[in-house]
Amino acid sequence: MKIMVRAFARFREVVGDVTALDLPVGSGLPAVLAALASRSDESRDLLFDEQGMIREHIIFMVNRKRVSRSAMDSIILAEGDEVAIYPPVAGG
Amino acid sequence: MITITHEDFDPGVYIDAARDRQTGGIVTFTGIVRDDGITAIELEAYREAALRELEAIGDEARSRYAIQSVDIIHRIGTLSVGDHIVLIVVGASHRGDAFRACEYIIDRIKETVPIWKKEHTEEGSRWVPGEHS
Repeated sequence: MKIMVRAFARFREVVGDVTALDLPVGSGLPAVLAALASRSDESRDLLFDEQGMIREHIIFMVNRKRVSRSAMDSIILAEGDEVAIYPPVAGG
Repeated sequence: MITITHEDFDPGVYIDAARDRQTGGIVTFTGIVRDDGITAIELEAYREAALRELEAIGDEARSRYAIQSVDIIHRIGTLSVGDHIVLIVVGASHRGDAFRACEYIIDRIKETVPIWKKEHTEEGSRWVPGEHS
């Protein structure tokens, strides 16, 4: 299934602003991050810590709605979903 | 009006437009690019999500405080020292609700709206770190 990933600010500079991924049906957010991380060492370091855990400060949205850390593992993506990843916000 | 735009704005226009027969006070917050030794600042937004979030914050402010109007204008793009960044205009019958709603709105913007700032200086560029994760 096709998933569109959008990245912003510092994350955009490392992984690119829009990435189309083709993931197995039933994939969740960890699969999105793993696919992005496999593209470059810089991406992997941005998304995962030394123990291979997803970095704490990453914020996720699926179809423009924020996904909390606690809900992250229960998300199952569907064809055409838009996933956004970004660092803590600094507007205003 | 709640919007995200590259264009500058005139706060006076929005203050005047917030007047209504029931309005007893209008409180505004104008965010401005401060001179922290920068040459420019670049504002980036996840525009569709940020607009939706600003609208949600406006709705929250209306449900929490007795206010009559809310305007939020957030700029994006490359800005210079002294340029406007954000405008919040809140009209209410009484000042207490207007002040509290205005502060609530700017605090919530800094917490949740997907907008980022990159500062450019003579030495290089850096992303302004967010305060909330």
